[in-house]
Amino acid sequence: MRLDLSGVSVRLDDRPIVHEAGLRVDDGEFVALVGPNGCGKSTLMRTIYRALRPSAGLITVDGDDVHGLSWRESARRTAVVAQETPAELDFTVGEVVLMGRTPYRLEGQADAERCARALERVGLTDGADRVYATLSGGEKQRALIARALVQETRLLLLDEPTSHLDVRHQLEILHLVRELGVATLAVLHDLNQAAAFCDRLYVMSAGRVLAGGPPGQVLTPELISEVYGVRAVRRTQLVFERLEER
Amino acid sequence: MTGDTRRAPAQATSIFKGRAGTERRFGLLVGALAVAVVASTWLAVSIGAIPVALPQTWGIVADRLVPGLVPRTWTPVQEQIVWDFRLPRALLALLVGAGLAVVGAVLQALVRNPLADPFLLGISSGASFGAVLVLILGISTLGGLPLSAAAFAGSLLALGLVYALAQRSGRITPSRLVLAGVALAYLFQALYSFVLQQAQSGRAAQQVLFWLMGSLGGARWEMLPLPAVALAGGLAYLLLQHRRLNALSAGEETAVSLGVNVHRLRLTLFVLTSLLVGVLVATSGAIAFVGLIVPHAARLLVGADHRRVLPVTALLGAAFLQLVDIAARTVNAPQELALSIVTALFGVPFFLWLLRRRSVDRAVTVA
Repeated sequence: MRLDLSGVSVRLDDRPIVHEAGLRVDDGEFVALVGPNGCGKSTLMRTIYRALRPSAGLITVDGDDVHGLSWRESARRTAVVAQETPAELDFTVGEVVLMGRTPYRLEGQADAERCARALERVGLTDGADRVYATLSGGEKQRALIARALVQETRLLLLDEPTSHLDVRHQLEILHLVRELGVATLAVLHDLNQAAAFCDRLYVMSAGRVLAGGPPGQVLTPELISEVYGVRAVRRTQLVFERLEER
Repeated sequence: MTGDTRRAPAQATSIFKGRAGTERRFGLLVGALAVAVVASTWLAVSIGAIPVALPQTWGIVADRLVPGLVPRTWTPVQEQIVWDFRLPRALLALLVGAGLAVVGAVLQALVRNPLADPFLLGISSGASFGAVLVLILGISTLGGLPLSAAAFAGSLLALGLVYALAQRSGRITPSRLVLAGVALAYLFQALYSFVLQQAQSGRAAQQVLFWLMGSLGGARWEMLPLPAVALAGGLAYLLLQHRRLNALSAGEETAVSLGVNVHRLRLTLFVLTSLLVGVLVATSGAIAFVGLIVPHAARLLVGADHRRVLPVTALLGAAFLQLVDIAARTVNAPQELALSIVTALFGVPFFLWLLRRRSVDRAVTVA
């Protein structure tokens, strides 16, 4: 399996945020992590990509303790697309994507080809010389996915990758990531969307992972009312599907 | 959307077509800036109360390096002025201008704040305090070396204090670094203002004031090696780290996810820039604005990639301070202007223009 968490606890400023969380992501799986605001999802994600250290528990990627690896090596195994976007510095899209090669040696032309292929794959073919800050929200996210692609990892972490996007771009990004076939753990807000895209999903509440499994089994009205404090009713509603061509 | 990926390798170069163009432009720009650096230095060596014709300055320098190479067409006085005073001063201007500008560029990436400059971390105020003590207590100002040593000691003291305040379990964060730096800058300013106020001699006070606003007037050959080595070493290290600097300026979490040991990098950059500022301020006093505006100008020319920003910043800073020093020596001759006066006259209009041109607001809140 790619990613395995067992008994992971995280404290921020000595306040416990995550308690003994456990989850796993297997090869090629798309796994969603859902839960109400402040339940510790992002904290858990940041701990997986080493922005934070766990106070207890073990996180392994490809069988090795992530926090015991060199920084470079863990970045060769795990790529991240987060909400946070680079500041107002004038990096071009090509430069942003090339940053994905930071954990590797420079390879000049080979790197340029990797970046070009990644940009083509996310549909930003003629965007390499545009200034990143001038892109639309959807284009920015696609550029960041391209950066994750050139990082050539077998695990991808997405922390609310679609929260600033309209519904069409949300679907596009999620489709894109699904089609990559890379083991993915994604924090998603929209439960219907999570259910539609993931193979399995985990529900977090108050710092604990409460349940995990196929969305149909996990997202019961009982669990949703317990976790979110809302009544969930299944009924016919508008369902959005991406049109194949623009 | 489902693009034909088999075509991708063939297209790779065409997608990055702009890259080759950018590289060529970058090469031309570096060449042009190098010419500007040499030309401004040449000018600086010939201009002054006793003018020396441009060809003669070459002759004097060539004669010193390889005696007898060119026929002597100059007087001994001219030779002494060029070799003993103007040339070291001009070279120091290049080193200080390049160094302050590079430090500014690095600090702007380190604390992710476009308003960061070499004086943000309180290091220069510490250096000034050391210098003021020496000048007022009148230990010795001959040769400038005790003054430099005291200024450097002051900057080390400030470095230690800023680090002690800014770190928590060995890690420094940008916001704590800025707060600690600003607080200590005020403390040291208060201290040297107090010393100045207590000073009996008006002449010493005036000398201090002049030094505080930056002057290259004390340049001697023996002052050059230390800043030269510090700048060359620092710049070489930073160029090797250019990808990590890029990642860091894209944000802490991004840098971590790209495999950068952010805490160690920040610490290294903090110590490196502090030492560099200490060395530079010790030779020339506190010259404002160079470290603030030159990196911005460089980014306007070549974008945000530190592989291009750092060399362009260094060359631009060197040429800029050379021209500033020429202006400072000539505009109000025989009186010299303090360098910060001239840099502010250039710097403030440029900065206001920059402020209007870009929305700095969002970026400023980061720190």
